[in-house]
Amino acid sequence: MAVASNPETVEILINDIPVQVPKGELIVESVKRLGLEIPIFCYHPRMKPVGMCRMCLVEVGFKQPDGTVRKMPKPQAGCTLPADANMVVYTDSEMVHRDRKGVLEFLLVNHPLDCPICDRGGECPLQNNTLFYGPSTSRFTELKRHAAKAFPLSQYVTLDLERCIQCGRCVRFTEEISGDAELAFRFRGASMQPSTFELRDFGSKFSGNVIEICPVGALTNSKYRFRARPWDLETKPGICTVCSNGCNIWFDYRVQQMVRINGRANDAINEEWTCDKGKFGHEFYNSNERLTQPLMRQGGSIGPANWTDVYAEILKHFAEAGNAAAGIAGPVASCESYTLFKEMFAGFGSTSIDHRLYSNPVSNEIANAEKSSISSLESAKTILVFGNSLADDLPIIFLRVRKAWFKYGAKVIVAYSGANEVESFADVSLRYKPGTEEAVAKALSEAMNGALSAGVEAETGVAPSEYLRAAELLKGSGAPIISSAGLQNLKAGKEICASLQALAATINGRFNLYALGANEEGARQAGIVPGKGGKSVGDILKACKKGEIKALWILNSDLLNEYPDRKLVNEALESVEYLVYQGWEKNETTAYASVVVPMTAPAEEDGTYVNVDGTTQHFAPILKAREEARPAWRVFSDVMSRMNSKELIFSAAEIRERLAGATR
Amino acid sequence: MAELKLLFKHAHDPAYATLKGYQATGGYEALRKAVKGERQAVIDEVKKSGLRGRGGAGFPTWIKWNGIAKDKKGPHYVVCNADEGEPGTFKDKQLMEQTPFLLIEGMTIAGFATQADVGYIYIRGEFVDAARALRKAIDEAYKAGLLGKNILGSGWDYDLHIHLGAGSYECGEESALMSSLMGERGMPRLKFPHAPLPTVAGLWERPTVINNVETYACAPFIIQNGGDWYATMGASTKNSRGTKIFSVSGHVNKPGNYEIEFGTSLMELLEMAGGMKGGKLKACVPGGSSVPIIDAEACEKAIIGYEEMADVKSMVGSGGCMFLNEHTCIVNFIWRTALFYANESCGKCTPCREGTKWMFQILDRIRRGGGREDDIQTLLDICSQIDGRSFCGLGDAAAWPVAAALRVFPQEFEYFIKNGRSMVESEPALAMLP
Ligand SMILES: Cc1cc2nc3c(=O)[nH]c(=O)nc-3n(C[C@H](O)[C@H](O)[C@H](O)COP(=O)(O)O)c2cc1C
Ligand code: SF4
Ligand code: SF4
Ligand code: FES
Repeated sequence: MAVASNPETVEILINDIPVQVPKGELIVESVKRLGLEIPIFCYHPRMKPVGMCRMCLVEVGFKQPDGTVRKMPKPQAGCTLPADANMVVYTDSEMVHRDRKGVLEFLLVNHPLDCPICDRGGECPLQNNTLFYGPSTSRFTELKRHAAKAFPLSQYVTLDLERCIQCGRCVRFTEEISGDAELAFRFRGASMQPSTFELRDFGSKFSGNVIEICPVGALTNSKYRFRARPWDLETKPGICTVCSNGCNIWFDYRVQQMVRINGRANDAINEEWTCDKGKFGHEFYNSNERLTQPLMRQGGSIGPANWTDVYAEILKHFAEAGNAAAGIAGPVASCESYTLFKEMFAGFGSTSIDHRLYSNPVSNEIANAEKSSISSLESAKTILVFGNSLADDLPIIFLRVRKAWFKYGAKVIVAYSGANEVESFADVSLRYKPGTEEAVAKALSEAMNGALSAGVEAETGVAPSEYLRAAELLKGSGAPIISSAGLQNLKAGKEICASLQALAATINGRFNLYALGANEEGARQAGIVPGKGGKSVGDILKACKKGEIKALWILNSDLLNEYPDRKLVNEALESVEYLVYQGWEKNETTAYASVVVPMTAPAEEDGTYVNVDGTTQHFAPILKAREEARPAWRVFSDVMSRMNSKELIFSAAEIRERLAGATR
Repeated sequence: MAELKLLFKHAHDPAYATLKGYQATGGYEALRKAVKGERQAVIDEVKKSGLRGRGGAGFPTWIKWNGIAKDKKGPHYVVCNADEGEPGTFKDKQLMEQTPFLLIEGMTIAGFATQADVGYIYIRGEFVDAARALRKAIDEAYKAGLLGKNILGSGWDYDLHIHLGAGSYECGEESALMSSLMGERGMPRLKFPHAPLPTVAGLWERPTVINNVETYACAPFIIQNGGDWYATMGASTKNSRGTKIFSVSGHVNKPGNYEIEFGTSLMELLEMAGGMKGGKLKACVPGGSSVPIIDAEACEKAIIGYEEMADVKSMVGSGGCMFLNEHTCIVNFIWRTALFYANESCGKCTPCREGTKWMFQILDRIRRGGGREDDIQTLLDICSQIDGRSFCGLGDAAAWPVAAALRVFPQEFEYFIKNGRSMVESEPALAMLP
């Protein structure tokens, strides 16, 4: 008998073919090594196996020393069975086929079979398994179970209980992945149904995922219900640009309209999940407030204009302003656009450009420090979350931190002023008084030396013993410290970040000041920060107010609502002589513009985006540009060619090639 | 053979439910003996006794006890399955109400043998009287130093808790019981080889022994008198030793619990229960509603023993023995049984969840006169699609009675389907029907 050389590896026989597999690997996974498949419903590779649906039954035996095979009397669930030495598995025997038919017949007896009107029809695991393995007719003639057909679990998720096959995937998702345990089964037997507690709103911040993992059309997308049949949709890979995490998504569209967003697997980033903000946050593509034409102010009112006039006007004001021109870039534009934005301002003779929409931006040294990758968080033994509500600010990082704890037993410390999801699994929670972040960061450092200054509890509201417990866990742990760039809006933002960086050094960890905007990292990497003698966002705004900045260019940011000091923005916008607003949607800020430059949204152009951990991702165009909207980089190129006869650039790829050449 | 009262010897004496009365009849001698010796010695005696689980499956008790790690690295648990949900079975109720100290001493002995820290008695929610009796007895035992810290000067601490269930048959299934005990929904957990045995990772993933009330109640006698002594009872059978309590019900003159020695015949048991009432013997479900039904002819041959009952295609089960007279309509009987299982399916796995309900729906239609010829084959198919395919034993337990009734009494189903009414003329009022 062949003895596996690696002690962790065992040899098993699948349909009489020998395979080496890691001991303990689930048989449902092992068969894939031979290109075989065991049909499943309840099994999900990212969750603990439960063996509920029985779709995956296989015949199992053990090879005896005399070479014969002793079969187990009952078929076994392949999704829960760990591979062991001498195991013999049959996935294709007569019994297995009979059992699959049996399970499918059972699953269908109470199923409404309303595939013709079901969202899932055409991409439904129940349809697929029935087609491949199920009986062609049913012997069931009794009354079917009747239940709610359109029960709203939340604004996003609608439950069709009749279609539910009670696989428990949704329930387990909320228990194992999102951790909010919002769903549970109630009642039993054939009446068992997934439900929220006391039928309250399904309040998970990740509720959209259950729609996708439901193997039938029971959990439906309230925004997508009955809007399309899957085969009428076109599907292309995309990147979510709602926040900095950069989740990989499937972008489904139909006649140039975004129809729905689904998670796309990428183990390094979002695994396969999305958050609700992202999954349901792409409606802007279809918005009626899209900017589709260049607009120019003449007299008191703003109206349509042609590109030639717009360019001439822009050039006049910005070239003239020179050093008194300034540019503020929002966090959602492509790297290609940021690159040319910077070049264009250099052409104007201005170094006052910035992308940091924070009142107290940190030093470049801290901002440019390398960040822990999302996937690396999962192997951290200890993690410190500081100063943010992680599930809201960095949802996908939240899921990884939770996984580190749930699956690998990491110790988590959270310091935040309010209730937050991390607390539910944190070993230590430092719920401090709002606004005392600086003192908390300092106390943590002090606690590392075991000497807390008096009055820390009175000041921060956290007992010294809690700081000491946190310090005990952090000591030498190499813990990543997870903060969001939002810290820079705190009065002492710079000092807090400096303390945390010092703390990271003492524990051999890394301080991560994770960006919040979709391509904030890209803007930073492209150097959209004030150059020599240049002004930061705050200083630009103040200078506008004083009339020192004459021409301001805002690249895709509703500054009034995105910069913390609304009053300052308001004054600046009212005072500045000339304002270019470039973006894809009308908002409060556009109202002040002298010129509105329509821009394509990410799915409408070719571009790259750098996510929160520094991963550069390419987003190929999916939809057509709206009317006259153009990629931002094209506008910059056009302006530059008019300014100093620079050669025109015709594609984003050209910019990428140029950049690649430059770094080579 | 007549009754052989071992566990029930003093059951009818109210003093036996007090510590004083219990000790007056030799109670706690066994524990005293056990804690003076080696832990392994206890397990060896249980092995010699040939004791097998009384909860239904008849699994050798010593193997479970011996499976607990000897080098203790954290808490060990002992759990008593007192859920007694199997229709027709009511022996544990009487044991707990009248002989609570037998269970407590038995669980303490098991705890000692397995180095346990805590024991839990999971009692069926409806058994309030049993819980009260146990509460009183446990309090007494604590006061006397027979539970709690440093039991009998042995230096060993052991606590015993009571937990009342909330009314689910499935919570008698050992892994579902543990889920329920841990505060989870009463659904079964993965079993070996899909997960470690409970003796390795049971309650809170710690080594756990789980046995039935009657199983534990046997332990004091085995330790006090020796395993060899215990094994002399039932020696006539292949592999069943000691006594077994049968809860006899149905059409008999004196329904109740009867303790007999293994090897007794089923007809002797019927005789003890006063013989048939209201008509001749037609059928018997010897071991609780889950076990296959047998006809009168098989009853004549049936010897009570785990292997012996298999000879007549049935089982000892939990000892819930129901005798049915000639006026019983088997279709109606099975209809009621199927309703029970459809109601009690926990819903976790497809075959049981959907199959039990479908079976009931078909039987219900037959019973209302709407039967069709192919119903019998469909029912048999459903049984085979459930049996061995479900997640836990409840599915099997739901399929066996239906399959057996169709095998043993096919003519009754055929008649009902063809004529739209029962073949049994004077069907007595099915008082238990809703
Ligand atoms: C559906 C189902 C219900 C059960 N109910 C009970 C019960 O109420 N009481 C009991 O002792 N065992 C019950 N069992 C058996 C237990 O799972 C287990 O075998 C028993 O507790 C082991 O104890 P023993 O070895 O002492 O028999 C049930 C099993 C199944 C599958
Ligand atoms: S709603 Fe969907 S995912 Fe949830 S249990 Fe039902 S079938 Fe499974
Ligand atoms: S985490 Fe951010 S990037 Fe990912 S789906 Fe949610 S909003 Fe989009
Ligand atoms: S996939 Fe294995 S039981 Fe559901």
